[in-house]
Amino acid sequence: MRMWEGIRLALQQIWAQKLKSFFSLVGVIIGITFLIAVITIVEGMNTYVREDFAGSLFGVNTFTVVRRAQIQTGRVDQAERRRQARNPDLLLRDVDVVVDAAPNALHVAYSADRSFGEARYGSNSRRNVRVIGGSPEYQLVQGWKIEDGRGLTPIDEQRGLKVAVIGSQIAERLFPTTSPIDNRVRVGGQRFRVIGVFEKQGGFIGNVRDASILIPFSTFNATLSRRRNGVDEISVKVEVEDLMEPTMAVVEGALRRNRGLRPTEENDFHLQTSNDLLSAWNTINTILLAAIPGLVSVSLVVGGIVIMNIMLLSVSDRTREIGLRKSLGAKRRDILFQFLTEASTLSMVGSLIGIAVGLGLADLVDRLSPLPATISVPWLVLAIVMGMGVGVTSGIYPAYRASKLDPIEALRSE
Amino acid sequence: MQNTNEAIITTHNLHKHYVMGAETVRALNGVDVEIRRNEYVAIMGPSGSGKSTLMNLIGCLDSPTEGEYVLNGQEVQVLDDDELARIRNREIGFVFQTFNLLPRATALHNVELPLIYAGVRSKERQRRASAALERVALGDRMDHKPNELSGGQRQRVAIARALVNDPSIVLADEPTGNLDSSTSEEIMDVFESLHAAGQTIIMVTHEFDIASHAQRVITLVDGKIASHNAEIPTFVGAAGHDFHIP
Ligand SMILES: Nc1ncnc2c1ncn2[C@@H]1O[C@H](COP(=O)(O)OP(=O)(O)OP(=O)(O)O)[C@@H](O)[C@H]1O
Ligand SMILES: [Mg+2]
Repeated sequence: MRMWEGIRLALQQIWAQKLKSFFSLVGVIIGITFLIAVITIVEGMNTYVREDFAGSLFGVNTFTVVRRAQIQTGRVDQAERRRQARNPDLLLRDVDVVVDAAPNALHVAYSADRSFGEARYGSNSRRNVRVIGGSPEYQLVQGWKIEDGRGLTPIDEQRGLKVAVIGSQIAERLFPTTSPIDNRVRVGGQRFRVIGVFEKQGGFIGNVRDASILIPFSTFNATLSRRRNGVDEISVKVEVEDLMEPTMAVVEGALRRNRGLRPTEENDFHLQTSNDLLSAWNTINTILLAAIPGLVSVSLVVGGIVIMNIMLLSVSDRTREIGLRKSLGAKRRDILFQFLTEASTLSMVGSLIGIAVGLGLADLVDRLSPLPATISVPWLVLAIVMGMGVGVTSGIYPAYRASKLDPIEALRSE
Repeated sequence: MQNTNEAIITTHNLHKHYVMGAETVRALNGVDVEIRRNEYVAIMGPSGSGKSTLMNLIGCLDSPTEGEYVLNGQEVQVLDDDELARIRNREIGFVFQTFNLLPRATALHNVELPLIYAGVRSKERQRRASAALERVALGDRMDHKPNELSGGQRQRVAIARALVNDPSIVLADEPTGNLDSSTSEEIMDVFESLHAAGQTIIMVTHEFDIASHAQRVITLVDGKIASHNAEIPTFVGAAGHDFHIP
């Protein structure tokens, strides 16, 4: 009961001096905002990368042959980078090498892609789209599901038809009212008849799938490609995880032989798996999670010092009130408790604002960038506990000073 | 009603000294007073004679340098801080010259304060605080903040606050010092009705016509009792006259 009284009093105090309270809380607000915003983003990415991203981008039990590593892990070796930059382009004939080397593979898919400034239908347009020329197996390896219409078939590929399966964002933008099926979208100076729409993915991968247009590889090769027969990725999906390593080994061997590499020479191509991504992510994650507590503590310590000063000021401003309360029967611990409650309420308000702003920022990032943002309850609890902790810690000394005041002297003060 | 002859306050050889460098100020220099239940006593004396010091000792806000003080059969000097706070809360009701209300709190909340420290629950607190405000005829001003009240009304809120915990004594140090004479009379009426209802009251004042409301006037000079039952010169009618030693 007396705690509510204290909290009510503290809130009154805060409300009476909104601007001053806000400035005194800036430190705590920034600290907690930062904590929440970064944590939500890191956590969101974490969940995403672990549960969806790796599997979705690379597919389950899938490895990909690319010209050079897209994701660097560990130390970034400049010489290694320069060496990989000289790797030859992948070409259609490399696909044949891979197919021949891995007859047991479930699927071998290949693709090339190119980004365009916009895709149009009539007066509707969608900025920044990626056109992927994919073999018919591409959708299977990626696990992209069709929402509407149909996917690409071997016939589309053989005949080099100008047909397209479009991502959900593109469908929404270009065809807000009508069905996209059988209409023609325009991209890169070409028109493609829409035959299907992919299921919406949302989140991080949204930009990969939802803003993509998939057309047959042969069509892409004939119309939009910058390099004749150029391939960006060759993906190999095997049946079970145990087959990954042996299959990768034979594919690696076959490519080396095909390119005539001597045993002393390094690969002039790169085999990529979802593990690359996960370990890269783990490195970033570890750094972030190690840095956050430090950064947050600094602003919370600063915030705490500010609150302590504000409370000391408040104690001297309200000396007379303290004297009065004592004359009316407040014990030392009542005064101590009152000012501790006030300090904690103050910083709690700060951390609640911080949580709100942090969640707001995270939500903004979630909307405006491909990063997903989620937060789990333990982090919110931590933020609240930290806010409380700052309040109690920085309130102890001022509250102690208040509780020690002599009632008569306090009453006599102006 | 209790036995009116029973002493509620007894002090013996009460001293309060302030050491100021080489000098020692003897604010109280051996004071013996006895105040009985339901007495209405005024304390008068020149400025600096120790009136407020005595009130603070009686009110357990301060402890004497020397001497004994028995309040309601309880030896006060043996009590620790918390017990003194409890006595201030339960046994004493203070009324100050400057009202000392919390400026941002309503009249009702100001009156509730002592009850908060008595650990009374919110519902009961409000009930008792509003009853106390009714007693000082402020039942219709409960939600007003001090700056929305006149000086007399503020002092009545302070009196309600002093009464709300049903104390053994009400201590008022120059309760009309900041009020004009007609408002002072209004406050005196409140004190008189409290006294009539059985309340023990000790009041410090500089004004004879205020003191004339009391049953007995104690005069202090230089930290000593000059008279336990002084005559009030009735020919001095005007308020604001300072006390002079005859
Ligand atoms: N905290 C203190 N330190 C030093 N001297 C003090 C202190 N409090 C009171 N005194 C001195 O004790 C004496 C009595 O003071 P007190 O306030 O009791 O007088 P008073 O009778 O109430 O006067 P007034 O009518 O002006 O209110 C004065 O000389 C005063 O200066
Ligand atoms: Mg005085």
